[in-house]
Amino acid sequence: MPSTVVHAGFALLLAAGLLGRYYDRRALAALFVVVVLPEVDSFLGPLMSGAHRTVGHTLAFPALAAGLLYYDTRIRDRSLVRSRLGGPERAGRWIAVAWVALFVHAFAHVGLDWTHLDGVNVVWPLRDQFVRLDGEIVFSTAEGFAQTFVEIRTDPETGRRAVDAGATGTTETVHVNNPVEPRDPDEITEEPVDRRFPVANAGWRLYLIGLGLFTLAARRLQGDV
Amino acid sequence: MAPTLVSAAVGALLAAALLGRAFDRRAVAVVVAAAVAPDLDAVASLVVPGATNALFHALWIPLAAGLLLRWDTAHRGRSWLRERAGEVAGDRAVRVAWVAIASFVVAGIGPDLFWRAGVNLLYPVHDAYYLVSGRLVFSTQEGIVQTFVTLGREGPGVLPIERLGTSATYTVQTWVNPDGRPGFSPDAERELSLVRTGWQLVVVASAAVTLAVRFRRTDAGVTR
Repeated sequence: MPSTVVHAGFALLLAAGLLGRYYDRRALAALFVVVVLPEVDSFLGPLMSGAHRTVGHTLAFPALAAGLLYYDTRIRDRSLVRSRLGGPERAGRWIAVAWVALFVHAFAHVGLDWTHLDGVNVVWPLRDQFVRLDGEIVFSTAEGFAQTFVEIRTDPETGRRAVDAGATGTTETVHVNNPVEPRDPDEITEEPVDRRFPVANAGWRLYLIGLGLFTLAARRLQGDV
Repeated sequence: MAPTLVSAAVGALLAAALLGRAFDRRAVAVVVAAAVAPDLDAVASLVVPGATNALFHALWIPLAAGLLLRWDTAHRGRSWLRERAGEVAGDRAVRVAWVAIASFVVAGIGPDLFWRAGVNLLYPVHDAYYLVSGRLVFSTQEGIVQTFVTLGREGPGVLPIERLGTSATYTVQTWVNPDGRPGFSPDAERELSLVRTGWQLVVVASAAVTLAVRFRRTDAGVTR
């Protein structure tokens, strides 16, 4: 995984941009929990093959949560969430934080993991398929616009179209190393176990951490928390 | 160099995060423009040898701008910027100016310094391209592994991070100047990269959604 620190750094920048007047320590603490929580699926690894990057990193559950939240707070006459949260000010605040949490989870956590190693099992349990987001978008004088994130190939003989969005495997075949299971359980080796807790494995990940810290410091300098 | 679109996206995210009450379309445009501005040194490289990622990517311009802004707003009796912006908008203008300077450094210079191309940070005072590259990992077998900063690096330069060469030996290729050397070649094959890799697409998408949400919110606030 790009480390949780990297997720948290980018999440801070996004959160500062979206929380508006709800930006304060309590909201940031809640978002921090949302950033860390998906990694708990590492601990399911010994029980379920390929659990890491599947259970906590699917976008199916967040989409369901977003749908329910929207239905409850915007469509129903009497919102269960609102009545549970107390006064309108308090309810408005935590509903806003919940939306930011969903956004931060999708972009700062799942989004970044999607681009890394074998990617994420993005719509599990609807479909068991890890995908990795990898490619580039360029405009060149020779070839015009070209993108390689999603490749669409047409079989010249059968005329069937195949869409490849970076499929890497299923929970049976994919194992993404993490501190709980530092190597693929199917692999048999004599080497001592090396659990690695990365902070930043590349310059750009350090950059994302720096972005978050800079935002935090700048907001404090501006006198907002 | 890192795609200019990525600089613009980070600039937009900084604008959303730091502008506060000064957030509106015009202020965002100023901050994003500041994020994109350093990449204009690629144009200068058509005339000045080795100007790409050096001339406007060095720290001197934002440093001078910061000192000037500080002097104007804090130490002079009557601030030029406040007077120009008018009494009501004075504080807003100062805030936008600070965020724009931050955006120039963090969103404009930052992505190049931390990813692939590298930046000639102290040019022309000290001519050397630097790149922050390495890893910081805690391993149960090897302890703390840290390779971003190491003393006694090879190559020209004074900072203890990876050095790529001087403006004479190292060139950065751009779509404006495909071979990185002075002289305009109209027939050259050019490649304008919008997004070079997965994480950059995530950053660009996050910025697009953030701006859409914020603009919708401010528009709604105006009409109500």
